[in-house]
Amino acid sequence: MKKFISFVAAACLTMGMFTGCGSTETNQSVSESNNAAEDMVTVGIGQFAPHGSLDNCVEGFKLGMAEAGYVEGENVTYDFQNAQADMANTNQIAQSMAANKVDLICGVATPMAQACYNAANGAIPVIYTAVTDPVAAQLANEDGTSTGNTTGTSDKLAVEAQLEMIRKFMPDAKKIGILYTTSEANSISAIAEYKELAPGYGFEIADSGISQTSDIPLAAADLAGKVDCISNLTDNTVVSALATVLDAADKAKIPVFGSEIEQVKNGCVAAEGLDYVALGKQTGAMAARVLKGEKAEDIPFETITEYSLYINSAALESLGMTCPEDLKATASEAE
Amino acid sequence: MALVLSVLEQGFIYTMLALGIYITYKILDFPDLTVDSSFPLGAAVCVVMIKNGINPYISLPAAFIAGGISGFVTGIIHVKFKVRDLLSGIITMTMLYSVNLHITSGQANVPIFSNDTIFTLSPIKDIAGDYNTVIVIFVIAFICKIAMDLYLKTKSGYLLRAVGDNETVVTSLAKDKGTVKIIGLVIANALVALAGCVMCQQQRFFDISMGTGTMVIGLASVIIGTNVFGKLSFLKTTTTVIIGSIIYKACVAIAIACGMQAIDMKLITGALFLIILIVSSLKKGGVDND
Amino acid sequence: MIKLSNIDKIYNKGTVNETQLFNNFNLEVNKNEFLSIVGSNGSGKTSMLNIICGSIPIDGGDITINGKSIAKMKDFQRYKKIGRVYQNPAMGTCSSMTILENMSLADNKGKLFDLGRGTNKKRVNYYRDQLSQLNLGLEDKMGVKVGLLSGGQRQAMALLMSVMTPIDILILDEHTAALDPKTAEIIMELTDKVVKEKKLTTIMVTHNLMYALNYGNRLIMMHEGNAIMDLNEDEKKNAVTDDLLDVFNKISLERGN
Repeated sequence: MKKFISFVAAACLTMGMFTGCGSTETNQSVSESNNAAEDMVTVGIGQFAPHGSLDNCVEGFKLGMAEAGYVEGENVTYDFQNAQADMANTNQIAQSMAANKVDLICGVATPMAQACYNAANGAIPVIYTAVTDPVAAQLANEDGTSTGNTTGTSDKLAVEAQLEMIRKFMPDAKKIGILYTTSEANSISAIAEYKELAPGYGFEIADSGISQTSDIPLAAADLAGKVDCISNLTDNTVVSALATVLDAADKAKIPVFGSEIEQVKNGCVAAEGLDYVALGKQTGAMAARVLKGEKAEDIPFETITEYSLYINSAALESLGMTCPEDLKATASEAE
Repeated sequence: MALVLSVLEQGFIYTMLALGIYITYKILDFPDLTVDSSFPLGAAVCVVMIKNGINPYISLPAAFIAGGISGFVTGIIHVKFKVRDLLSGIITMTMLYSVNLHITSGQANVPIFSNDTIFTLSPIKDIAGDYNTVIVIFVIAFICKIAMDLYLKTKSGYLLRAVGDNETVVTSLAKDKGTVKIIGLVIANALVALAGCVMCQQQRFFDISMGTGTMVIGLASVIIGTNVFGKLSFLKTTTTVIIGSIIYKACVAIAIACGMQAIDMKLITGALFLIILIVSSLKKGGVDND
Repeated sequence: MIKLSNIDKIYNKGTVNETQLFNNFNLEVNKNEFLSIVGSNGSGKTSMLNIICGSIPIDGGDITINGKSIAKMKDFQRYKKIGRVYQNPAMGTCSSMTILENMSLADNKGKLFDLGRGTNKKRVNYYRDQLSQLNLGLEDKMGVKVGLLSGGQRQAMALLMSVMTPIDILILDEHTAALDPKTAEIIMELTDKVVKEKKLTTIMVTHNLMYALNYGNRLIMMHEGNAIMDLNEDEKKNAVTDDLLDVFNKISLERGN
């Protein structure tokens, strides 16, 4: 019995190794033969973490590609991998895509973009998306040009537009509270921008850093008691516990402004925000340009230029707020 | 071939980590969770030094020392303040998270794409070509293995093995078992931080979350290595640990290549763990019955 | 040599289960004395050994070796002068290390455990000689892991290891109790030989009344934290097992056993 089990375990391991190697080789040969046929390309998509916004990005990416003529199953196959926010997985995924010699890699979110860029080592174009600050991530130079065979889109927040919107909604507000995770690079740079721009709109920023989801109830309750409203970033940890934040704000009878449509759907009053599907589309269009022969390093990274105003009327109503007249025309109900 | 290289690179990096975890888990029987933070600690020390223009090769001993200090803290908490082993590791791990962020001046992600690393400055870079990275990593991992083999044969090494085997013997030898445990934790975390240092130079960026799951990867490597290959008496235990970490990484790569989703990865890892543990406990049961 | 004066030991202090084991307990063991201690369960024999070795703290009194108090020393510090063999043969050796490595460890007691070579090659022949005196064939298995040896072989090794370096006191904590009668006999003879050879001051706790009478030059019977019988060498020679058994049964009856 013992021997049998050891044997089975050993067999599983060895089989795994062989079949694994075998299948990689077939993958490669398939992609090579397709390349020869010149009508099938393989695109690797690495997503850092399971996350509504990032999922939207990937969905948008495929749409953008399709609009440019690359339709999944017809002339493009996607190798989609999600690293589950695990750095070891992130590296492994990036390296296996590079090793499989896909035609293009799409890295979603900063760590994945960096890992893909490193693994591709210039040999495969890397198109990134949802990287808030490509310059800080060393994927682009200070002047916006690419550092290598890579380009993509940034999901930089519309901080200025957001501040302007909050001012219109709350003419008397003084203090905006922001919760963020100390480990999220994107949030840290967004906070810095908020602090820089807030005085111009007569606001003061009160930030509260947390390190994990379980810190949120206390931090949110504390922050809600000190400020006139809360503005959300795209901070992964905070967004995942948005309900807790909303609850704390409700108790303090203050509104929470979001930074993208999903957050407004979930109960934030309004957002001058990103539409990640649109961001993904924009990225997909860039990827298509690269696949058609343009060099990634010649395309500067893009930041989404048009933000849309989303409102949640039910949430506004419960706080006795209304949408200002001059915003009503552009605002769309998030649903 | 590129995939094989990638597996070997990752495998040899995690070898250093696995050697460290081998000391705590196998020799000391100490489930040390400090490693989840000492791994990024090594990386944090490394990126800050590299960013400040210090030779990347100097970051290796620096990370080693920094990791040693973190192990020392866990050891002191456990031995002097009599906090349970698992808890002392968790306490240090938690505190180190902040320390790591302080080291990088609050930056959660520090890229070093444009800086020199031990790989770009490698003396064999031109000859080795594509193999440069894997050779450099292998050399560092191999030095660690040899150093550990030699250490375990010293008097101090004997005492370390004795304390994990039978604390009473150490006390009978008029030695403080607490001190010996601290030494073990220092060496283990030093190795783990060194792995973090090499890892971050290979991936060319530091991320505060890169330590998540370090303990599990190390444990998997050690358990696969010692339980599956431990029977082959011509192999040193440290060698089986190296094989273990490469097999673990190969399994992960294969799982990805076979189109398995990362969602299932932890489940597979857990199942693999369980199979190996069951097999080895059956074996053990056999010995006991004899 | 070793002196326990006015020892108090209370278990579970401050709880409903509070029991006072020792109240003003005194014992003096002279140099080169081989003291055997017998007594019923809970009489305080093993507690006394633990008190001497520092494994359990005392609530009052003092312990001195050669006039120097060791009461405030930690257990591992006391072992500089003490060798101890336990009831469980597994306690005295490291099972995952080889015979040679175990011998080397014991040989280095009292010295620095630094980065020097763990096994001194020049000492290997000495270890082999020592092992061959056991007549257990261990000298030919120096590379074998101790975990693969039998209980008797391990106990013999544990004894050898505990007296390898110079010590003042040898503590034997029912060290034959876990062995089969034949092996126990071999270990006991070996113990006697070693103690005589090295002229060790020895305290042996045993359940075996025969061993207590046949070996050593002093005998104490413990009962409820007191030495109720203390025979010197001459008295011991005249005593027979039945005498001891009588007393033993009496105290056992008192306890309602």
